Amino acid sequence: MTALLLDDVSHTFGTRVALAHLTLGVRPGRVTALIGLNGAGKTTALRALAGRLRPAHGVARVLGHDPAGLPADVAARFGQVVDTPLVHQELTVTENLVCAARLHGEPGRAAAPRASAAVGRMGLEPWRHARARSLSMGNRQRLGIACATLHRPTALILDEPTSALDPQGVVIVRELVRELADDGAAVLVSSHHLDEVARIADEIVVLHAGRDVGRLEPGGTDLEQRFFAMVLDADTRAVTDAGSRS
Amino acid sequence: MTPVAALGAALAVETLKLRRSVVARLATLLLVVLVPLASVGAVALARSPRAVGATAAKLTAYATGDLATTHLMVCAQVLSVATLFAAGFFLAWSFGRELESGTAGALFGLAVPRGTIALAKCLVALAWIAGCTILAVAVSMAVSAVVTASSGAPFAGAWAGARTALVAGLLGGGLALPFAWVATVTRSQLGTVGGLIGVVALTQMVVLLGGGSWFPYAAPSLWTGMGGADAAAAVGPPHLLVAAAVAPLAVAAVVHAWRRLTDV
Repeated sequence: MTALLLDDVSHTFGTRVALAHLTLGVRPGRVTALIGLNGAGKTTALRALAGRLRPAHGVARVLGHDPAGLPADVAARFGQVVDTPLVHQELTVTENLVCAARLHGEPGRAAAPRASAAVGRMGLEPWRHARARSLSMGNRQRLGIACATLHRPTALILDEPTSALDPQGVVIVRELVRELADDGAAVLVSSHHLDEVARIADEIVVLHAGRDVGRLEPGGTDLEQRFFAMVLDADTRAVTDAGSRS
Repeated sequence: MTPVAALGAALAVETLKLRRSVVARLATLLLVVLVPLASVGAVALARSPRAVGATAAKLTAYATGDLATTHLMVCAQVLSVATLFAAGFFLAWSFGRELESGTAGALFGLAVPRGTIALAKCLVALAWIAGCTILAVAVSMAVSAVVTASSGAPFAGAWAGARTALVAGLLGGGLALPFAWVATVTRSQLGTVGGLIGVVALTQMVVLLGGGSWFPYAAPSLWTGMGGADAAAAVGPPHLLVAAAVAPLAVAAVVHAWRRLTDV
């Protein structure tokens, strides 16, 4: 079964095409990376998959359900960080994690141990009692990822999860994602960091101008070169197609 | 997770956010301290020989009558507007900032549904404003008791006035709930505050045109005597029930809006 699915999804913002007939599936135990230039449609795809955007065409499914209205038992197995995380600036790190645990369906008595474990896991001990507003951008990102994963989801969406992290944070997130996938979770990650993607992903989907323009093998040292070749090829084909139509 | 457990979780989260909210802390302080001081201070000023000219004219209604009753009448009048503003500002923050900052998007795909979170926000706001109203009336009564005891005036009239003040404060707080919906639709805290100020201005115009008793935002204040004895007498239980009906309707509307929320 495909745990995360976008099926023939299209969406426009005004006249700008954000997604064009995108079909994408992530199976349990796999990490799929979505890569592309700025404005390629990565975040729009993830928002549609998280239920935060109703696509004009096509279907999004999380664990077989419409993500805009997940049943509670299904939602309890789902996590997402797209753009802004579930972090409230006036709350402390621990309070944010306890709140996230409660909202992910953990009973009150289980929320504090979950929060404590997440603090340790993400290397946030020195800031355990600090307000989120006082955290650095990197620590805020660690906290956001912790809030989305402390319930051990079986379907997970992360948008640029390492964009503000230091090398230690990158390793922590990489290990967390791999561990969840090894436990059977389906993980969809968007990223600009091709080196990072190469280390973490089982499959790489290249998105360009809202379209799936191909897949890349994660291995090898020439990922960046292959990515740009694929994007250039997509642009060339688009120009050729436009020319033949006119 | 059962719906009751989900509501319990959402209430716990929203209560914590309220406790950490600067808006709620400031509003609590203003309601619990300033309203009693204004209630007793306005009556003292009205009965002071120093009140002359425009000040005396504006405070004429407080210059005579039973002292404790008048204290609580002023308390009711101030609360009917103050709770509307306090709850309105809090709801603008509670709902608007989630949409402005983007955390509303993080509330998707949770075991606790968005509609339940919206309901919890409304219930927490109502409970908080009810608590502030009770405290403000209790402090007003305590201050009034001290003032009347020191001047030898009777205090018995305060109890009926306290009941009016409690109802007026609760109605004012309930009338703020539509601004949770405004914050959801506008996705703007300042836009919501602008809407709140606009409704207060509209209320003034409706009262000036003589249509106040059936206008929900005017009825509680008129009932407390803010528009004079005749206007107060024209407001009865049906008018107050119409004002009270605004809160549940607004809660239903905002829960529906949060269930259908998209493009966040």
